[in-house]
Amino acid sequence: MAKTTYSEQEKKTLRKMFWNSGLVFSGFNMVKMEGNAFALTMAPALEELYEDQEERNEAMRRHNGFFNTHAVLFSLIAGITYALERQKKTTGSVDDGVIENIKVALMGPTAGIGDAFFFNCLRVIAAGIAIGLCSQGNLLGVLLFVLIYGGSQMVARWYLLRTGYKYGTSFIDSVFESGLMESLTKAAGVMGITMVGAMVASSVNVKLAWTITVGQTSVVVLDIINSIMPGLLSILLVFGLVRLIKKGHKPITLVFGILLISIVLAFFGIF
Amino acid sequence: MVQSGLICAFVWLLVQGIDRLLSWQTLARPIVTATLTGLFLGDLTTGIVMAASLEAIFMGISAIGGSVPADACASSIVAVAYTILTGADVETGLALAMPIGTLMGSAAEMWKPVQAALAPYWERMAGSGRVKSFRMQVIGCGLFFDRLPQAIILFAAIAFGVQGLESVMNGLPPFIMSGLSAASGMMTGIGFAILISMIWNREIGWFFFIGYVFQKYMQLPTVAIAIIAAVMAFVYFNTEKKINDAKRSVTADAAESVEEEDLF
Repeated sequence: MAKTTYSEQEKKTLRKMFWNSGLVFSGFNMVKMEGNAFALTMAPALEELYEDQEERNEAMRRHNGFFNTHAVLFSLIAGITYALERQKKTTGSVDDGVIENIKVALMGPTAGIGDAFFFNCLRVIAAGIAIGLCSQGNLLGVLLFVLIYGGSQMVARWYLLRTGYKYGTSFIDSVFESGLMESLTKAAGVMGITMVGAMVASSVNVKLAWTITVGQTSVVVLDIINSIMPGLLSILLVFGLVRLIKKGHKPITLVFGILLISIVLAFFGIF
Repeated sequence: MVQSGLICAFVWLLVQGIDRLLSWQTLARPIVTATLTGLFLGDLTTGIVMAASLEAIFMGISAIGGSVPADACASSIVAVAYTILTGADVETGLALAMPIGTLMGSAAEMWKPVQAALAPYWERMAGSGRVKSFRMQVIGCGLFFDRLPQAIILFAAIAFGVQGLESVMNGLPPFIMSGLSAASGMMTGIGFAILISMIWNREIGWFFFIGYVFQKYMQLPTVAIAIIAAVMAFVYFNTEKKINDAKRSVTADAAESVEEEDLF
């Protein structure tokens, strides 16, 4: 049974979240990707739920972690996270780990679906209509393109946010009532960490350009390493970084460390 | 040409900025960008007609000789600007715009470490409780800061010519570019490392390698991996549930037998 009515407060929060969810690519960076936008989208919800300033700040910092998905489906996850945060506040049955795992589990698949639907399908239809009109010098073509491609994304973003919140709330409620929260936490963790593995494989990249030349033959070092296990270096890099973080090294040190090492090694022709 | 250069840089910041406030990636498509470039350079009709052919080219519907430049938005601006300013046709304009994609790529690559270095600052901003100022700074980034180096490149390309700009960029020692691009490939690793250190635990952490193998060895699409992951999660959930139920009935039985003993 899905939640059908929203209180005034919920409506207001959802509206504010919608406008903030437009900032997906603002302040984008390679470390946290869409983390800034996600924290800002959650800000109205956290403001509503947490009265204590310290708690609210802590939650904001939590949502400033790594996040990356399609710009439109972004709001679906934000809606679900709003429902989870509410549950955390009111019943205490959800902890930070569950929220993080559910976010992570959802970002991979939503990215794939979003691109397939909006970029590969709707954009082509909109452009098809617009190109015909524009080639005759008709400005209407451009306006139609913005309306069909841009407008539909705005509308979808609004409904996905509400849908995420609505079904997120009823789903979490029913899980809580049946006392299966602990099992759900672990299941979400299984899905989350599997998707992280897939995302590390596709987006962390160690570009080794090192070739050793012995007489007439030259050996590409990266090929040899990849023949042991493809992308072995990315795995070593990520788990090396996990180690450093657990030891308490700050991300800023890691950013500059990687930059410095890359340029120095590139100077010697290794990268 | 300096004035046209400024106009083009402004169009770039405008379309990219609005796309970053509404996250709809609509204005940066050639069909809108080219029209706006035409409008601001004073020849709307050429802009609209070129918009149609540029969108078709970048969608791969109509092919032109040679390869297509990488950056659709920037190439459209340069192609329209050359056509209006020098009277060339679309294909010549686009051929002249050819190197701009690479140049824009280099500019973005050089900017990435700067943006990445800001990540710890953003984290402090997020946790500071000053949401309004955090929001304003992120909006400022979206409108201006994020795309600044590309705007400068675009300005220089129109004002001083793409070829001249290319030779300047080629004057940079190549190891800097390759070092920066290697660094940005690895910086994503920091974000994942933070995430993993948060959600890893000994019981389920090993599923990481299943996801990795699906992606790297089998090259499955993300949705396929998500479906498999969801099935694994579901099976795991059911097993956990059964164990919990069993545990509960055992404790219930134990409680009952204790009660019985009490009766005697």
